[in-house]
Amino acid sequence: MPAEIGSVKVEIDELAARLAKLFDGELVDVSIQMPDTVIAHLDRSVLRDVARRLKQLPEIGYDSCNWIAGVDQLTHLESVYHLYSFATNTYLELHVQVPRDKATCPTVSDVWPSADWHERESWDMVGIKYEGHPDLRRILLKDDWIGHPLRKDYVDLVENHPNV
Amino acid sequence: MSDQFATPVPDAATQLALDRIRQSEEAGHGSDMAGLGFNQVVVNMGPQHPSTHGVLRLVVTLDGEMVRDVIPVIGYLHRCKEKLAEKRTYFQYIPIVDRTEYVASMNCEWGYVMTVEKLAGIEPTRRAEFIRVIAAELNRIASHLVAVGTFVADLAPLGTAMVFYMFRDREIILDLLESLSGARMMFNYFRFGGVRYDLPDGWVEQCRDFLDRFPKMVDEYEALVKTNAIFLQRTMGKGVITRQDVADYAITGPNARASGVATDLRRTRPYSVYPELDFNVCLAEHGDVFDRYQVRIDEMRESAKIVRQCLDMLPRGPVQVGSLRPPYVITPPPGSAYTAQENPRGEYGTYIVADGSRYPYRLKYRDPCFINLQIFPKLLRGNKIADAVAISGSMDLVLGGIDR
Amino acid sequence: MGLRDNLPPAIAGRLKYPKLEHFQQPNVITTTADFIFSWARSHSVFPFTYGLACCAIEMLSSGFARFDVARYGMEVFRPTPRQCDLMIVAGTCNEKMAPVLKRLYDQMAEPKWVISMGACATSGGPFYDGYNVVNGVDKVVPVDVYIPGCPPRPEALFQGLLELQKVIQQMKFVPPKLEKAGAGEPGVETAPAAAVQPAAAAGER
Repeated sequence: MPAEIGSVKVEIDELAARLAKLFDGELVDVSIQMPDTVIAHLDRSVLRDVARRLKQLPEIGYDSCNWIAGVDQLTHLESVYHLYSFATNTYLELHVQVPRDKATCPTVSDVWPSADWHERESWDMVGIKYEGHPDLRRILLKDDWIGHPLRKDYVDLVENHPNV
Repeated sequence: MSDQFATPVPDAATQLALDRIRQSEEAGHGSDMAGLGFNQVVVNMGPQHPSTHGVLRLVVTLDGEMVRDVIPVIGYLHRCKEKLAEKRTYFQYIPIVDRTEYVASMNCEWGYVMTVEKLAGIEPTRRAEFIRVIAAELNRIASHLVAVGTFVADLAPLGTAMVFYMFRDREIILDLLESLSGARMMFNYFRFGGVRYDLPDGWVEQCRDFLDRFPKMVDEYEALVKTNAIFLQRTMGKGVITRQDVADYAITGPNARASGVATDLRRTRPYSVYPELDFNVCLAEHGDVFDRYQVRIDEMRESAKIVRQCLDMLPRGPVQVGSLRPPYVITPPPGSAYTAQENPRGEYGTYIVADGSRYPYRLKYRDPCFINLQIFPKLLRGNKIADAVAISGSMDLVLGGIDR
Repeated sequence: MGLRDNLPPAIAGRLKYPKLEHFQQPNVITTTADFIFSWARSHSVFPFTYGLACCAIEMLSSGFARFDVARYGMEVFRPTPRQCDLMIVAGTCNEKMAPVLKRLYDQMAEPKWVISMGACATSGGPFYDGYNVVNGVDKVVPVDVYIPGCPPRPEALFQGLLELQKVIQQMKFVPPKLEKAGAGEPGVETAPAAAVQPAAAAGER
């Protein structure tokens, strides 16, 4: 059951410090974006463990996954997780770097059910494959589309356009 | 001429539905309690359907009239908006954001403009903030009129009078917004640092006249259906979203408030001048279809209250920052930002990654309808197919936002 | 059967009933039939609401009380293509939707017309350079009337419907001047006379 919104009053920098201490070594580069977002970077190997523990934190648990985006930074891909905590009424933004040649990332759809379609969309648009996802197939484009459009090196092929 | 007599080849979603039937039969769930045996049929409520409010396709696995499983297939309106953001400047992109949730365009523009202002460090003027609230709340009323009107029209074939009254009143609001911005639906009104036009002469009096008449109109709509036994039976107790579902599936907006979770971004993460305004967050208890309808009706009244307060508190001043050289071509410094605002359907947010050039590097929408649709299979399982229409109407889906 | 069997054979042999095959060119009977049939067809069109996107909301508004499409006889919006004459494509068509659009067009019965409403259906609109967008539904189905606008006001939609009424009223049972093309065929042909005339004129010279 989600807590009452804003029932736990914590200042954002104190929250960032607390998270950095709780996940020492796993959450790196913890910073704040006003008014109420904590940003951190994460390695994909510890993602599932940290996700489960974030959800089950007493008092300040991050019980809702707001969205997941795939971003193509030119040297690597990035999977951005945006989490929301009902109790503290704050957001947590996690950045997970994914190499371009082996673009896989563990799934968090069993921790937060709402991550399901976001991961499918990230696979569809950017091409990050989420291991362990129950049903990873294209969501917005046709099933036989070739390529991942939101990559910066996307080339639109003629086979994708039978109707022109 | 397509070969309409060929045996159809199932596509991915239909094949998935057929596979799940086969798996459930192999696992031994092949008979019901009376030993009569399931006979599961896969029915396609295709992209073109009178009740799905847009091009949503539902691959429904039916057993008689009971729904066993639903696979929503979306993407029939995918217009590549996130990729187009990389080809248009920040300013050129404002009309495209309009067309995301086309029934509530002012709110969508506000979500985008707020993020760009945060990235570029632009503060809108005070008069513009009030005008933005007025425009957004009027558009919220118009959007709820469409949502509730089409929902009630689905439950009874278009012979219901309610949708005609609601669209009549929506035309009054669209006239007001047209004299404000120039267009009936896709307004292109918000700018970085303010709004495009000031209020025309006589607009405030027209608006007040509408607001004086509006509460009686809402009472009229409610009186048309609230004692109708068939409407109550079809909506009460159906499609219940629990409080745990609201957290698990990140449901926001009236769908969440109908379950008792007071998530209203105008109160929990206030933006613009909402802290100075006095309004109630409309909640309900049960989270069923009737409660979602009731929350939207109550919100229309609250929005009218907000607009009246803003008209009273409207300060003088410019409506756009930099009146001699308004910011048309802006180049925000590299960085990323996410802001959200309260759309009629939930939390509508935009996440923009800027790289210092005139074009956004990556734009990602947090669209409430896309996220609210994920709970659909869970809500429909075990209900009858007729309830699918009621539940999907009450979730208030706009495919422009789902598919972007 | 009927009247002809009961008449004495002397009279029956001399009666000539007009058949459509006898008409080499339009005359008062065919043009009167044209007028009645096309008046009926154009003033009671059953539209098929193929509302894809934002233009669908304007189409919906045009059906309700303020902009009343019933005064043109077109208020019977049927959701199934089998019962419709006119397909109003309102919104953007993309690669995933195009096969569906084609299939629905094929399911309509002749005679059928297509209106492409809005900038997206005409030419791709504001999304013309999207990878997934079909630039105009006329790449998929033949279009009779194009209505520009984003979205077109209901009054613009009505002007398009009136243009469509003019198109429907050009249908003829016997097209004029079919000398070279053989006897006038029964059935509705909107074969433009201009296509036949140059060949006829060249043959005469």
